[in-house]
Amino acid sequence: MKKIMLLLLSSIIVISSTFASGATEDENGDVTLKFWYTYGDSEEEILLNEVIPMWEEENPNIKIDCIRQDGSQFHQMIVTSFGTGNGPDVARIEITKTAAYANQGGLVAVNEYPEFANKKNNFLEGPLSTNLFKDSYYGLPLDTNCKAAVVNTNILKNELGLDNIPLTMEEFFTKAKNRDKFSLNVSGFGDWDLYTYFWLFGGVLTNDGFTKASGYINSDASVNAINTMIKLHDDGIFTIRDLDGSVDAWDGIESEYAMFFEGPWYNFNAKAELGIVPSIIPTYQGRSASIVGGENIAIFSTSKYQDESWKFVQFMTSDKVQKAMLKSGQLPVLKDMVESSVVLENPIWSVYMEQLKSAKARIPSPYTSDIETVWKNAMTAIFVEGDNVQSQMDKLAIELDEILSK
Amino acid sequence: MVYKMNKYSQRDLNGWRYAYPFILPGLILIIVFVVFPMLFTLRIAFSEYKIVQGTINFVGIQNFKTIFTESNKEFWYAYRNNFLYAIVTVPFIVFGGMIFSYLINNLEKGGSIFKVGFYFPVITSWVIVSLVFKYMFNNSSRGLINYFLVDILHILDDYVPWLLREWSGNLAIWIMGIWKNTGWAMLIYLAALQSIPKMLYEASDLDGATSIQKFRYITIPWLKPTTFFVLVNMIIGSFNVFLQVMLLTSGGPNGKTSVLQYMLYDRAFAKFQFGEASAVGLISSITIVILTIVLNKILNLDNQEGN
Repeated sequence: MKKIMLLLLSSIIVISSTFASGATEDENGDVTLKFWYTYGDSEEEILLNEVIPMWEEENPNIKIDCIRQDGSQFHQMIVTSFGTGNGPDVARIEITKTAAYANQGGLVAVNEYPEFANKKNNFLEGPLSTNLFKDSYYGLPLDTNCKAAVVNTNILKNELGLDNIPLTMEEFFTKAKNRDKFSLNVSGFGDWDLYTYFWLFGGVLTNDGFTKASGYINSDASVNAINTMIKLHDDGIFTIRDLDGSVDAWDGIESEYAMFFEGPWYNFNAKAELGIVPSIIPTYQGRSASIVGGENIAIFSTSKYQDESWKFVQFMTSDKVQKAMLKSGQLPVLKDMVESSVVLENPIWSVYMEQLKSAKARIPSPYTSDIETVWKNAMTAIFVEGDNVQSQMDKLAIELDEILSK
Repeated sequence: MVYKMNKYSQRDLNGWRYAYPFILPGLILIIVFVVFPMLFTLRIAFSEYKIVQGTINFVGIQNFKTIFTESNKEFWYAYRNNFLYAIVTVPFIVFGGMIFSYLINNLEKGGSIFKVGFYFPVITSWVIVSLVFKYMFNNSSRGLINYFLVDILHILDDYVPWLLREWSGNLAIWIMGIWKNTGWAMLIYLAALQSIPKMLYEASDLDGATSIQKFRYITIPWLKPTTFFVLVNMIIGSFNVFLQVMLLTSGGPNGKTSVLQYMLYDRAFAKFQFGEASAVGLISSITIVILTIVLNKILNLDNQEGN
């Protein structure tokens, strides 16, 4: 009996120690790094079949254990891994979560590596800035994106009487008003959903330094932006799926809506025969707007092999890998590549790269989750309960000031 | 006397020696997965816990102060909603379970079909059921409830955004809880009904009792201990409501449909506030313990078991 107990306990210890750490080292001194990501099928195919073989050829002693995680629970997985120490060495993380993880002490400041100073200037400033937290960079940008207009040109022509994609929203709204269906769709009340409209219609979130919201988010311009959305909704032009229970954008664009805003992952190639094409978001009162998305690549502070991880991070942000991943629609973050013919000659990528020029990032903060919650609550009160816009925006400004001052 | 004690102690010792190997694996698992996390949670509730560094700094009752005094009163809404969930759903589950089991028990044919039918919601995944409820409570005519109330019955003029409002959101959560749990109560009652002696019904037949009288004066009193069991389980279960809230409303709008378990999850995983999350967990546990003691006293459960 004693032997059985001993065996049982030893097995438990062996099993737990096997899973306890991220990286492992075998008897030859070869290191295996764990890389977590939430790539889709097409991105993963290129990663596994092109990128990783390239890496292994250059670095035969550092193996990469590629682990695809479920996107909906990725953040929770990372939080749990912080506690257990059983996390990745390197991960592709959302830009909006970088500051929060850094604030927890979960990420390695990469600006302390000597190579960083030279490498820094190669990146587009917007995506790079999403890694900055308290004067240090906690990762490198890996891919970027923004929203552009997804337009059904057939509906535009047959039902709105527009032969070409309009250059201004004013023109689009004039035509869409005469239609008895919603022409423009957004999914919900979150920041990713509504910020583009808010900015497009003239709203401002905070001051330039992201330290104060009062006087900006509750300014006349911001209140007008929200009122414009309400009016468009009342006029039957603009629908919010979560409010109206209307058909989802991806389905609706095929038969009902003339336009919605989406990232480059929309499958334009498969829907080309329906007349669905990407376009720059038409301007409103002379301005276009969009929201910056994308991912960073970061080293976890629980990693035992941080130098090897840094080597991998540099490799993933190198020209050749960025070029390879571009094939699956992962827009590059390197300045040189933005103007390259590969990007400019592609009818989809070129639109997104052009739209990026007018795209803004969300408020950089370790409390992005709180920021999104208060924004969503205010929008729900305005659109669902019909609360007074000015008073809700005043309340939102106070709540945001409190979060930004933390 | 001394001899006897030694003898008993030796026997006890021998007994333990043989018993230990059997209880040890379970004991280790309980210590590792139940006792240790409980004590650790208790400690974190009074501390600021930095998860990566593993530092735990004692902050006294600061975490409790924070959740009690937040401007959006999320904790108080969550706490209230747990009690409301119990008050609204438990009577429906208990009476529903009792009546359906009585009806099924009296069926001459087809009882099994109804048993399976009523029990089916219990074994169906919460996630799938939540998605179905999400469609049912959709904001437009695409939602079954809106379609019936507005387009068919013309009771309401406008479609209701059910899951985006405080009371209609809570209503959806309650209805789902009732629908999902009534089958469980029914099954427990069905088992209890088998234990009622047939001769009581036969005697009441001779006395000319009606079906309602038999249900009122024979069935209900005999089912009393089972009712208490179902009651206690369901009330305690009301403090573990989580999945339907997360999937239907995510606590919105502004935390007004939140419950303690959802708040705990949100604090820990979305906001990294492990101290506050543990404080919520601790309050939740204390409430359950108090409720169990109170229910024991009120329902006099110890004596019921002896019946």
